[in-house]
Order: sequence, then structure tokens, then C-alpha cells
Amino acid sequence: MNEEPTRRDVLGHAARGAALLGMGGLIGYLIKHGSVEGAWRINVDQCVNSRLGALGVDVCDKCATTCVLALSAVRAVNDHAACGRCYICPAYFDVNSAINEEGLPSAKLCPRDAIERFEIGWVDPDDPANNYYEYVIDEVKCNGCGRCVMACKEPAGLSSIRLEVRHDLCLDCNRCSIAQVCPDDAYIREPTT
Amino acid sequence: MTPQRGNVRCATALRAVVLRGGRRTFIVAALLLVSQPKTSAQQFQYERPVSAAPTAEDVGEGYETPVVQYHPPRSMTRELIDVGVLTGALALTAWLVLGQRHRFGTLLVTIACVTYFGFYRQGCVCPIGAIQNVTLGLVDSSYALSYVAIAIFFLPLVFAVFFGRVFCGGVCPLGAIQELVALWPLQVPRRWEWWLGWLKWIYLATAIVFVVLPAAQRDFIICRFDPFVGFFRFTGPLDIMLIGAGLLLLGVLVGRPYCRYFCPYGALLSLPARIAWKAVRITPDKELDCGLCAEACPYGAIEGLRAMRATCLSCARCYKYCPREHGTATL
Repeated sequence: MNEEPTRRDVLGHAARGAALLGMGGLIGYLIKHGSVEGAWRINVDQCVNSRLGALGVDVCDKCATTCVLALSAVRAVNDHAACGRCYICPAYFDVNSAINEEGLPSAKLCPRDAIERFEIGWVDPDDPANNYYEYVIDEVKCNGCGRCVMACKEPAGLSSIRLEVRHDLCLDCNRCSIAQVCPDDAYIREPTT
Repeated sequence: MTPQRGNVRCATALRAVVLRGGRRTFIVAALLLVSQPKTSAQQFQYERPVSAAPTAEDVGEGYETPVVQYHPPRSMTRELIDVGVLTGALALTAWLVLGQRHRFGTLLVTIACVTYFGFYRQGCVCPIGAIQNVTLGLVDSSYALSYVAIAIFFLPLVFAVFFGRVFCGGVCPLGAIQELVALWPLQVPRRWEWWLGWLKWIYLATAIVFVVLPAAQRDFIICRFDPFVGFFRFTGPLDIMLIGAGLLLLGVLVGRPYCRYFCPYGALLSLPARIAWKAVRITPDKELDCGLCAEACPYGAIEGLRAMRATCLSCARCYKYCPREHGTATL
């Protein structure tokens, strides 16, 4: 069967070689500008809920409402090292609600009751206002609506709460539906290190 | 902090007092309003009690600041495993379809791939959607295109240069889900097939235009209108899920409608597949001219008893119906 290569064979080889070369060139060009691997991330400085000067406007709950998952992959995260551990936390209580008999606002801010509050450290039962309190966000209840993020920032809070993408939940969609609607391009794809 | 609501309440109270006409009470109310807001019975006056976060020592009693939980993104190793699985599946399909001519084996690979790339990896990132990433990488130098996306986009194309559209036949989860529902495929008239075949090129061009648009209007329409990814995730926009369900129902009678008429990556793959080194061939040296294979091909890819390289999806169905192949193929 060792026949001379026909004209058709030679043309075929040439075409395949050209196709591979072309693709190789493209790959080379792309690799030069490529990154190792990326992941969706929320840039806190750009997030309208975290940013200063946005008080009094409605919360941006796009992270909670537009994710393709039934319960969004975005969660509010309380950075405990930055948390003031206040007696009355503006992210936990709805500070606009009427005060109850204990002298605390009667309503909570979180619509899903996802924040837990308890006393920590050395507790003086007679002076609750000067005790410290831990605020823990329940990952199962939180849907990343950002109301607490909005409340916990200067001058009311210390900006310890931020929104974060939970990568164990995130489907890593090529076309992230949150990124499509994020009002200030805070939802970005960044190379992972 | 937020005296607005309190003031509104006071104003309502004031209006009520004025309406009642009691002059003395009005003065009292006015005085109350001036001496507001701290004595307001209902309004909570918020002031931040601390200026800085207390340290663990401030809290006392051996308190330790809890670690904020953090979930790292998918590791590079696992991304590389995806690329490895893709390469392996492509090679296995090529071997089964071209070397073994084994329909059942190909079907098993198809099921394995729809399980892995579809249900486990939830359909992202796939070569079809990567068309947009690669285009964006070419036109926007600031866009960080991941190496994995580059590999996943080019691997099926490189395989197509050598072995034809083996990606469509055995690996693509979108193709696999349609392959599994193609139960009673009809033959689409040649002329319709030709005209409908242009739709995928129009779709490809539209998708590229939407990527090249400035960032504000940019959209990944291939991913947005991906009809089957919602089935892999068991969730998705209702309209897209309905389109997907419609395509699957149609796919029972018309084999793989998305692949043949809409898939933009299928359009791209048909180019290198035309010059493929090896491709599906209809028993060239033991021809019966019975035409059973042409009737068996659900995708209209056999013309004049020859498999067309550009449209053949490498599913190996034709071998199953070939009287000459029976008993010869082994796994």
C-alpha cells in the first residue's frame, strides 16, 4: 500500500499544517496576555453598599436578586477584627424603629434574621451599654442583600461588614448575571493568585 | 443619626394639636419640639458608641477574635484536571469512533462527559462560551483571559484538524443531552438543512459583535441563551429553561437541533473538520451501497453514501446500522 502521496494528500497536509500554525499563533498571542486563572470577586471600594456617601439611598440588592442560584452565592461577611462590637449595632438593629422596654430598637434590620448577637468577654450586667457584643452572620440564612453592609459604615459603623463571593457556592458562570447588572462594576473577574 | 422619621412624627402630632385648637397645648407641643430630639419617647437617637474596633484584650475574659471564614476559588490543580479530562475524552472518542467504530462505547463516553462537564462542572467554562472569552482576549488587551479557557477553546479545534468533530460526538455536554433524547429522528429535507445551517454562522457573528461592543453594552449572548445549562444546574431563568425544554422536545424528532442549526462552536469546528486527517468514513473497501447508514444518520451528514466531514458529528450511529460492521467492532 506504499503509494506515492497524491496531490490531494499533499494539499491536505499543507492545509492541516497551516491550520495548526494559525492556531498556534493565536494561542501564543493569547497566552502573552493571559492570566493563570480567574474568579469572580466583589471590589469593596466599588460596591455601592460599602461606599461612603451613599447613605439614605435605597440598598442595592442586585447580588441577592440576580444570581442564577436560588440563594445567591454572595454573602455578607463581618470582619470581626474591624467590628466595633457595639451595644447597638446599626446593622443588627433597625435604628429607626421604636425603642422597646429594654431601651433597644424593637426591630432588626436584616430581613432574613441572619445576624446573631451575643455578649462577649467580661460582662457587666448593670451596664449593658458598655459591654461588647459579637455579631455573627448566618451563612445559611444570608442572601447577600447588602442592607447590613450599607448600615455598618461611617459615621454610623466602622465598615466591618462587606459582601463577598462564596467560591464554594459560586458556579463561576462565564457570563455572571450579577456582574452584568452591578451598578458600579464592582463585581469583577480577577486573576486568582 | 436619623432624626427624619422622628421629626415627621412630631410634625403629625403638631398638626393634630393645631386642629384640636388648644392654644396652650400648642405652646407646650412647640416647646417639646424645640427640646426634642433626646426626650422623644419613641425615637431612638443613634450614636456610634465606639470610634475604633476593640482589641481582644479590651473585650477581656480570654476572648479571641474569630477567624472570618473564607472559601478559596477553585484550585489550579482541579482546573488542570478539567483540561486533562477534556483531552482524555477527546482522545477516547477519536479512538472509539475512528479506530473501533464502536457506537456503544461512544455512547458511554457521551454519558460520562455529560455527567462530568454537565452535572458535576455545571457547564462552565465550555468551549462554546469560550468563543466570547477568546474574542475578548483578542480585542481587549486589558482582559485577563485564563489559560484554562484558552486550552478548553483550542483543544477541540486541534483535535478536529486530526480527527474531525469528535468533540461534538462524545464530549460536548450540550450535544450529549440532545444525543440522549434523539429517539425517533426524522430526515430533514436537504434544502432545509442547507438553509438552516446558515443560522449558526449568523449566531456566531452576532455573538462576536456583542463581545466587541464597548464594555457597557457588552454581553455574552452564547452563555445568556445557553438552552441546556439550566438543566445541569437544576435552576435558571424560566424563559431560557422553556427554550431548552422546547429544543429537547424537538430533538426527539429532529436530531440535535441546537448542534446543527444554532451552535456557534459547531460552525467553527466545521472548518478544521473539512481538512481532517482522519474522519468517519463509510466502509470504503467493503461497500454494499445499501444506504442503511444514510437513513440511520439522524443529522443529515451522509450524502451520496459518504460522511460529510463538516457536518458529521462523530456519533458512530451509522456503524451500528451497517450490515458489514456487525460483529467486527470490538471494544
